Amino acid sequence: MTANPPKLRAAGGPGLPDVLVCVFQRGAADGMNSIIPYGDGDYYNLRPDIGILPPNQGGALDLDGFFGLHPAAAELLPPYQMGRLAAVHATGVPHNTRSHFDAQALVESGAADKQYLGTGWIGRHLAATESPSDRPFRAVAISGAVPMSLVGADDPLAVDSLEDFGIGDVGGTSYQDTLDTLYTGDLPFSGVAQAALTAMDELAASDPTQYPPENGADYPQSQLGSGLLQAAQLIKADLGVEVVCVDVSGWDHHENLPTVMPGSLADLAAALNAFHTDLGATMDHVTLAVMTEFGRRAAENGSNGTDHGTGGCAWLLGGGVIGAQVAGTWPGLDAGSLFQGEDLAITTDLRDVLVQLLERRLYSQNAATLFPGFTPGVVPGLFLNKS
Amino acid sequence: MKDAAKLIPPLDRRRFLEMAGRGIGASALVALLPGCGSGGGGSSGGGLGGTGVPLASLEVQALRRTSFGVSPDSLAAINALGVPNYLEQQLNYQAIDDSAIEAAVASTFPLASQTPAQLYPGFPDNIGDIVEDLVGATLYRAFFSPRQLYEVMVEFWSNHFSIHLVNGIIPALKPYDDFAVIRPNAMGKFRDLLQASAKSPAMLYYLDNFVNFVGEPQENYARELLELHTLGVDGGYTEDDVKEVARCFTGWTINQNTGEFLFVPFLHDNGAKTVLGTLIPVGGGVTDGETVLDLLASHPSTANFIATKLCRRFLSDDPPAGVIAAVATTFNLTDGDVVEMLRTLFASGEFQDIQDQKLARPMEFIGGLVRALNVNQTLPPDDGRLYFALLNLLSQVPFYWIPPNGYPDVAPYWGSTSGFLNRWRIALALNAPVIQEYFPVEHTVAGATNLAETVDLAAAAVLYRELSVADRTTIIDWLVTELGVTAQQPLDQATVNALAPFVVAMLVSSVYFQLR
Repeated sequence: MTANPPKLRAAGGPGLPDVLVCVFQRGAADGMNSIIPYGDGDYYNLRPDIGILPPNQGGALDLDGFFGLHPAAAELLPPYQMGRLAAVHATGVPHNTRSHFDAQALVESGAADKQYLGTGWIGRHLAATESPSDRPFRAVAISGAVPMSLVGADDPLAVDSLEDFGIGDVGGTSYQDTLDTLYTGDLPFSGVAQAALTAMDELAASDPTQYPPENGADYPQSQLGSGLLQAAQLIKADLGVEVVCVDVSGWDHHENLPTVMPGSLADLAAALNAFHTDLGATMDHVTLAVMTEFGRRAAENGSNGTDHGTGGCAWLLGGGVIGAQVAGTWPGLDAGSLFQGEDLAITTDLRDVLVQLLERRLYSQNAATLFPGFTPGVVPGLFLNKS
Repeated sequence: MKDAAKLIPPLDRRRFLEMAGRGIGASALVALLPGCGSGGGGSSGGGLGGTGVPLASLEVQALRRTSFGVSPDSLAAINALGVPNYLEQQLNYQAIDDSAIEAAVASTFPLASQTPAQLYPGFPDNIGDIVEDLVGATLYRAFFSPRQLYEVMVEFWSNHFSIHLVNGIIPALKPYDDFAVIRPNAMGKFRDLLQASAKSPAMLYYLDNFVNFVGEPQENYARELLELHTLGVDGGYTEDDVKEVARCFTGWTINQNTGEFLFVPFLHDNGAKTVLGTLIPVGGGVTDGETVLDLLASHPSTANFIATKLCRRFLSDDPPAGVIAAVATTFNLTDGDVVEMLRTLFASGEFQDIQDQKLARPMEFIGGLVRALNVNQTLPPDDGRLYFALLNLLSQVPFYWIPPNGYPDVAPYWGSTSGFLNRWRIALALNAPVIQEYFPVEHTVAGATNLAETVDLAAAAVLYRELSVADRTTIIDWLVTELGVTAQQPLDQATVNALAPFVVAMLVSSVYFQLR
């Protein structure tokens, strides 16, 4: 199959908002064993058995003389060194809960201190902006279900597989038309059923799965690899997609972290690197953000893992990202600096990062108002202003 | 004009009947078969969100909520007994004979009743067989047991104390959790269930308490015990309570030889602890954890949390406060007696008044298909592997939910575009002949002599409620156009039978079949 010639996209082109790809690490990724603060000696006191050695002892891959990348995530070095990948350390939403489910709902809502909003930060952004197109693909989750972050947008799509999103050939359109009529009107689930029927037609017409990975990109065979490959295909298919959400689960490493976490990190790195490689110049108009519900306890626990904590790290990838930096203020790991005496403190509110992303890359006006109850703080420059 | 089949223009008829075995029916789903390839509700006050659609009968509504789907037998039973007597019979579940089901389960799914010690020697090579047997037994009982309410509660508690099956050594431990923890206590006292779960090797492993030792605390189980099993996240505990509870459960681990619960005194933190303001003095040993379970099981937040989940299961995603309070009161008065809580719930005005508010989850969607169509209630020749595959497509295989909060029971989660699409694909698969061995459809239209009767009989047999006039007209008009006959023109039984899978697929795809 030959790819269609590129057309001006509803989002993701010059003068148009970036396409936002939001990756959520479910389970609370351990930021301190992803980006190693090897320059802080307390790190090794807190994590004598699971800490990653400094670069000069063959451990972490140096990033800036203080932080190093976990060696399993080596595939992130190329985009980092190209200046297109940044990390923010000691970040998070100060929700002060250590429940996975509560915290995910709050981070996806963009809410602190248990202010449940019932909608997601992306959903509110989309509801507040006019779609540059009238296509049904503004917000897509590569998932069987819609994540909280998209709630609030008009009929966000959950697409578990682009390839299988159809009901098959039923000998003409009358079957589907009849189903459409049965779901018309003031019925429960008529909105979602109509959205599914419309999306089915659009996907059949544009067939995003015809776009193979380009530039030698090699996606891992995993939830995240498959999710980002499909995100890239949706972007290439010119369906008017503005936001794609992709989940990656399996970050709740309570035990045997040195054995189990490298696989998760290698997958994350390979998938992000493949996405960046695949999209090539299109990455100038795509911003990918990786976040998690909270970081983990600064000290290791009794089973070579880490329990639930507070500050974590976030990753930002794209042509509009001011990369090659580990941004944020390092709070330190001495007893007096730890949050509640045991967690990495949050020094950068994740919502400040998101506000800058929305304003500089998605043309959002007053993005801070999308986060009720939030007082913006000062953050380092993470994104170039989109012209 | 006696031969009805001749009334159908050949081209149209062929095109229509060609649907059979094509699309999803012939490819993806059939490929799942063994040996066949690689591999928010509406407002109250009316049916279907107050749209004037005819309501289902009270009997059908009660069945939809207290079973995995309406079957002709269960409908006959509840019509004969009346709703209150039928529910009372279901609550008194031990008096219902399920020996035939249990005999079939024992012979077909033997690993589902084996202990860790029995399963260890074959581990890990037997993981696939264990998963197949445990899931198979669970689905077989859910879809075919006459103790429907009991099986609903087994599913409820399996989800409340959710354990991800394919995780480390859990395949060897989870069958025991099923037959010794969940099933014996599903209609018993909450306190008994809670303690059985706390000592369940599968739970100890899943939430890491088996490596929770003095001086090296591991608080994963302690936190989920408070948040998910008892008090609820806003149930009034602090981070210090989590740590103290973790200390109380130090030394609760697994015997590595037998796979049974083991308390190891020298791994237990014997210091004093304070949990929810209560001092747990030094030297309590294994009773520290048991004291915590007492505190939690008798805490008003637990009563409220369990009552809310029960009301969410049987009434609506956001159940009214009054009925939650009534069920919570029963929890407090009866030491968390499940039967008494259900009795309170079923006797409430809300149980009668709240209708068409729940989206059937995949378990009830597939269960509803099986129970409506497989009227002989026989296990298919593949030992239920097709059911497994269908639930996998819909993302609700029992024990496959990974985090400890269990499958959601609210419409926003299941009512996604993918969720609906996959239901429609499965409905269309009813056209594939091989699928009809598992979901026979012809009996639903037996005796129909024209299109209108075909639609009416199929609707009665599958939906157990009337279609609205508009929806009935829509479906009949579709068939009239496709076949080029009028609604009343006579058809022979062979033509009616050929239509049946499409008519049933359309009904199963409609919103009527998605409600619980």
